[in-house]
Amino acid sequence: MSDRVQRLAQLQDLELMIREVEDPASKMKEEALGFSVEGLAQLQNARSRLLKQIPKQDLRAYQRIRRKYDRAVVPVMNRICLGCFQALPTSVTRNVSEAGPLPICENCGRILYWL
Amino acid sequence: MTAERLLSYFGESRFVPELRSRSKDGVLGEMARVLADEGEIGDPALLLEMIRRRESLGSTGLGKGVAVPHGRSTAATDTRIVFALSKKGVDFGALDNEPCRLFFLIVAPYEDRKHEYLPLLGKIVEVVSDEAVRERLLQVDSFGAFTQTIREAFGE
Repeated sequence: MSDRVQRLAQLQDLELMIREVEDPASKMKEEALGFSVEGLAQLQNARSRLLKQIPKQDLRAYQRIRRKYDRAVVPVMNRICLGCFQALPTSVTRNVSEAGPLPICENCGRILYWL
Repeated sequence: MTAERLLSYFGESRFVPELRSRSKDGVLGEMARVLADEGEIGDPALLLEMIRRRESLGSTGLGKGVAVPHGRSTAATDTRIVFALSKKGVDFGALDNEPCRLFFLIVAPYEDRKHEYLPLLGKIVEVVSDEAVRERLLQVDSFGAFTQTIREAFGE
């Protein structure tokens, strides 16, 4: 997988974790099970550091898609986009150059992460 | 949740009778690679990053020799559990500072459509809260023995 898609997937996972820590109900459930859930500031710092590593155009694309869907980066399995479950045309590949476009599902517009 | 339902998240290929790693980070990497090797995730790096970040919020070493690292990731397509043993024990930064010997790595997809992640986490914690079950799990040497122990824990 390209570093560009990898970083966006990292950002997505990190933002999910931040939301879970910020959500009182979710945090309370984990703490009730005996898990410690502290360190929101640490996660937010990690997010800030990661944002600096992501090219601006990639970040804009990610944020634009996030406005439409909860999940901007979706896995691909057997050439199926697991965001909309449509088959991908052969023209869409996992190979991404440093300057080229991100791999996008032509049907739903999400960024594709090859498993 | 029934024993069969809980066991559906485990698998023989996700059963590690003896971990080679002796460090916390090594254990997390070894368990993430189990999922990568069986094709459950493409690249363990993304999953590993998420698990490490979760550990930074507080160790998932619950004490009494049990650790339950867990999280949701874009790298996962289905909820899966890896079970692993370390007879010598690993310093996992557990709440009671005791080494951990029983490990359950729970990985769920980014979208938890079936809302199974937290109930599953709760069920694992409930099962291992029984000292007799923990003792039996420490003795299992096959996936069959593991599933039998879980069924017995459910009174089956």
